[in-house]
Amino acid sequence: MAKEKLVVIGGDAAGMSAASQAKRRRRDMEIVVFERSPHTSYSA
Amino acid sequence: MEWETFDHLLIATGAIPACPTVPGAGAVEICGINTLQSGIRLRRIIDDRNAKTAVVVGGGYIGLEMAEAMLRRGMDVSLIDRSPQVMGTLDEDMGQLVSQALLDSGVKLYLEEALTGFETTGGKLTGVSTEKHSLPADVVILGLGVKPNTSLAAAAGIPLGEQGSIRVNQRMETGITGIWAAGDCAETFHLVSRKPFYIALGTVANKQGRVAGVNLGGGYATFPGVMGTAVTKICHLEVARTGLQEKELRKLGFEWVSTVIKSSTKAGYFPGSGEISVKVFAEKGTGRLLGGQIVGMEGSAKRIDTLATALHAGLTVEEMINLDLGYAPPFSPVWDPVVIAAREVIKKL
Repeated sequence: MAKEKLVVIGGDAAGMSAASQAKRRRRDMEIVVFERSPHTSYSA
Repeated sequence: MEWETFDHLLIATGAIPACPTVPGAGAVEICGINTLQSGIRLRRIIDDRNAKTAVVVGGGYIGLEMAEAMLRRGMDVSLIDRSPQVMGTLDEDMGQLVSQALLDSGVKLYLEEALTGFETTGGKLTGVSTEKHSLPADVVILGLGVKPNTSLAAAAGIPLGEQGSIRVNQRMETGITGIWAAGDCAETFHLVSRKPFYIALGTVANKQGRVAGVNLGGGYATFPGVMGTAVTKICHLEVARTGLQEKELRKLGFEWVSTVIKSSTKAGYFPGSGEISVKVFAEKGTGRLLGGQIVGMEGSAKRIDTLATALHAGLTVEEMINLDLGYAPPFSPVWDPVVIAAREVIKKL
């Protein structure tokens, strides 16, 4: 069965908080984050 | 074009600076500051052109913080705002303290002056014009607030709410199954006004992101909303606010009393003690705390957290008097300034 997949648009505070939280709980989930700039979560 | 399929989608597209629609607004030296990249871009422009004069348009959080940053680089800084005060999230009396601190720090203030255009020569920015003045400028910082970056969501037919932010429930689900939103692009809820609310702040973005992630990861979490708590500093002055301010209370039809007290950040005799002003609002009749504002020297701003916590708990100002807050002379007067304000406002109830 294909992995469940989450796509996130925006890799800053909200996007990366959500992506990391989801991944911690669901190791098997495939997560793709799109971020326009070269930086992610830059104030974390 | 490449397509990416999904089972779940989270929109976290943030916010974008509001841009004025006046002549010359396309000049590259006019900078909105909303990402690390935009800050790097501004810094390059200042370095490359050896910029000496900056004009900040708008006296909110970003405008004031950028004014300080450019003062520290030794630049000549002017700030224009069309309202009679800076920091519109404070009442006029508290905003006045911030205006005075800006003047004392060397910022030239032009209040009640609307921007009318940008002057350019051969495509290069040379100045900013208002209704009354023409100010020279090598760079301009836009501090006119932000709007949620939701054009993509709107085009996809996702329902929007306050100020065009994406409407979400407490679990951060949008109106379309399988699509979630969090952060500066998403709506939230104001826990004092009990109404949908839009606020673009990193604290809210992190909390909403966490909640969305817990739910997407198969758990259960909710984000109930905000008090509108925010802090900043401009040079030596700390600024903080939470809850509702006068103009909001009026609009919502509350009946309230308020007071402003002056106290000190440490015991008055202790070295390094500085002035702090605290304003609080209480509801007539019930005495329920409705909001507060703090302006003062180092050690002032984070005292707003006591008020934010009291608001979250729905405390009355009477209930605040006996709060067991920490005291020793290096940290506080024996009565914490926020408790002094609560005691004073009770007299007016």
